[in-house]
Amino acid sequence: MPEMAIQTQKLTRKFGNLTAVDGVDLQVTAGQFFGFLGPNGAGKSTTIKILTGLLAPTSGSIELLGVDFDSNPVEVKRQIGVVPEGMGLFERLTGSEYLKFVGRMYGLDRATTQRRSEELLDFMQLADRPKTMIADYSHGMQKKLALAAAVIHGPRILFLDEPFEGVDALAAGALKALLARMTERGTTIFLTSHVLEIVERLCSHVAIIHKGRLVAQGSLEELRAGISGEAGSKTTLEEIFLSIVGQDGTERPQLEELSWLM
Amino acid sequence: MADVTRPVSIFEQIRLVAGLRWRILRNSLRKKNNRLDLIGLIFAGVFSSVLIFGLCFAFYAGAYAFLSQGRLEWMALLFWGIFLFWQIFPVFVAGFGANFEFRTLLRFPLSLRAFYIIGLAYGFADFSALASVCWLLAMTAGATVAKPGVLPAMLLIVAVFMLLNVTLERLIGSWLERLLARRRTRELFLGLFVLSMISLNFLSPLMQRYGSSARPAFLRLLPYLAWFPPSLAGRALAAITRLQPARFLLSSAVLLIYLFLFSALLWRRFAAQYRGEELSETAAPARAAARSTAATDDGSDRLSLLSPPVAAIVRKEFRYLTRNGFAYLSLLMPPLLILVFSMNSAGWHLTAGGKGVSAEMFFPGMMAYLILILMAPAYNSFAYEGRGIQTYFAAPLLFRDVFLGKNLMLVSVLAVEIALSLAMLAWRVGLPSAHMLVATCAAIIFTIVGQLTIANWSSITFPRKMEFGQMRGQRQSGMAVLVAFGSQILMGGISAVILFTGNWTGNLWLPAEAFIFLAAAAVGGYFASLDALTRLAEEKKEVLIEALCR
Repeated sequence: MPEMAIQTQKLTRKFGNLTAVDGVDLQVTAGQFFGFLGPNGAGKSTTIKILTGLLAPTSGSIELLGVDFDSNPVEVKRQIGVVPEGMGLFERLTGSEYLKFVGRMYGLDRATTQRRSEELLDFMQLADRPKTMIADYSHGMQKKLALAAAVIHGPRILFLDEPFEGVDALAAGALKALLARMTERGTTIFLTSHVLEIVERLCSHVAIIHKGRLVAQGSLEELRAGISGEAGSKTTLEEIFLSIVGQDGTERPQLEELSWLM
Repeated sequence: MADVTRPVSIFEQIRLVAGLRWRILRNSLRKKNNRLDLIGLIFAGVFSSVLIFGLCFAFYAGAYAFLSQGRLEWMALLFWGIFLFWQIFPVFVAGFGANFEFRTLLRFPLSLRAFYIIGLAYGFADFSALASVCWLLAMTAGATVAKPGVLPAMLLIVAVFMLLNVTLERLIGSWLERLLARRRTRELFLGLFVLSMISLNFLSPLMQRYGSSARPAFLRLLPYLAWFPPSLAGRALAAITRLQPARFLLSSAVLLIYLFLFSALLWRRFAAQYRGEELSETAAPARAAARSTAATDDGSDRLSLLSPPVAAIVRKEFRYLTRNGFAYLSLLMPPLLILVFSMNSAGWHLTAGGKGVSAEMFFPGMMAYLILILMAPAYNSFAYEGRGIQTYFAAPLLFRDVFLGKNLMLVSVLAVEIALSLAMLAWRVGLPSAHMLVATCAAIIFTIVGQLTIANWSSITFPRKMEFGQMRGQRQSGMAVLVAFGSQILMGGISAVILFTGNWTGNLWLPAEAFIFLAAAAVGGYFASLDALTRLAEEKKEVLIEALCR
């Protein structure tokens, strides 16, 4: 039986009367490149925050790599890396200082931290500004640095919230190659993105959350087969997504209602 | 084809913006922290109201007395007071204009004229402007009661003076905003500002020493001040009271020239903003340079006694300290303040002729004052973390490590500051007796460590984001300020009572013994509180992240 990287049971998070995440049962096998999709406000970022310890669930349980998050948060956090929604950078440090800080926080020794931060800065093309503070980085540079910090300790699960947003095509290509290599070596990657083409190209498995509920989960082939009814169909992820999310007929904006604009 | 919207009047736009600000305030009160913050603000508002209304009476009485006693030239003094307050106070309260960024309104179809008028209207929403308007109205009332005939002229002068002040304040604010758009300039400016504030403390001793020789030079400057707006306003009022229409017209005309000049300059600034002036501070891409591996090496680990996370946090806090112009400069203050106070009131310095406070009382007093200043930021210790706070919660560590790292850094800074201050004290005033020295040192440990526990609780319960080197919109959480105020009074009160018990009981070593006991209890309590605070941080993490990631 394959090792489970992420397993949640009845994961729920309420904000007052609003149920942002509603009884989500996720199952992600180790080594999967997992895409987590959903329309705006569906609960993607809330789920990723709960899975990485940035937000407490109202109810439900989380197991990462077979370890219960609630009872062993420190042990679990040692195994994961995260690029959160706001990137979580200390803007008054330089890129190099920040990577060293994170490396030490994850318990790496000084020599390893030093070596890895230099290699990562080189790879992310951030090494040419050793004295520039993160506050003065562009958005794309900050994103690359956040990703470097998320992988410096060699996590077994990597959570990425919109990792390619604001990153130029050149850097995005290199990042995709890096992530693909990491999954080949057994790292599980859990990624949210609004760009369905990226998810379709990178991810082997996908889950779709809608109004806080998990409405689909499986490999791309399984989802395609579920929609078209036949294996090996060429249905795109966008078609699958629109088909599942728009099933209740209320999701697609009706252009006729905006006749005054046309 | 879309409809073309009708033009919206300026007053309608101002009404809409006022409504927007009201809704922003009302919606923000849905959160408990913001409601608590409002309570703090209401307390501050009550104190401010007392100041405003108290001074209203003073301005009323001043205007009444000067006009009824025929000391008309003195009216200029009142105008000068208001002028200086209106222009300088915004710098003290760290902000020009209201926090609401009215430039965001540029996305709407506003004419430049509407943009200018709305910008000016915002100037009247400042505390300094509101207070000044109240004082000017009080002056008008006082002058009218003394000489009812001056009312029309007074109204005209006050109206021009108000408009001139608000225009000048917006002009200075707008130029500063442009100059301070870049972080480095902002920090440099803030550094200069803090240094100039520190320098003000030396005015009194310098005046004591060199006042008599500087007086003639100052008197020679006075005639030039006559051509500044406050003096002109005073002269115009004096002229109309003495029925000298030509002098009234001349003063009023120069006042109007000032108003037109400032308005033209402000129009130019707002026109630049209206066109979409770029104030971004992100550095332009630079050509890649060869990386120097050796240059990035940290050298040997001087914090190897600490666990890696605590050492990493101490190192990060040190870097933040050295990059925070305000905090960095505030470290200069304690020894400087001792110098200032010792010059003013203590010991055997030249100007006081040996008549001052004794070293026995000066030492604990100054230490209490230093702790008061240096501990204040600890009550909102995550203020400068920004989005980095997420790293603490995502990393595999317990929050007690974060507290330990941050507190260790603060205690180290305090230790250095107290040592420097002690050296300064020994030089300027002399050291107190052994029992007082020991008692004060133990009291320092008690008050610092005791406050750290409360400050850690306050930092996670009432967090408020602040920006480095930024002046606009920088305000501590109202509740954090109240907690800091309360605990400082409590600690200071306990310490003062214990210090005096030595004299009351005749046992001079009693305070030292009591403080050593209390210091040991405070240290024990501090370490015992860390686990509870770690659990609390876990419970409050959403509040912390939300408040600091804005």
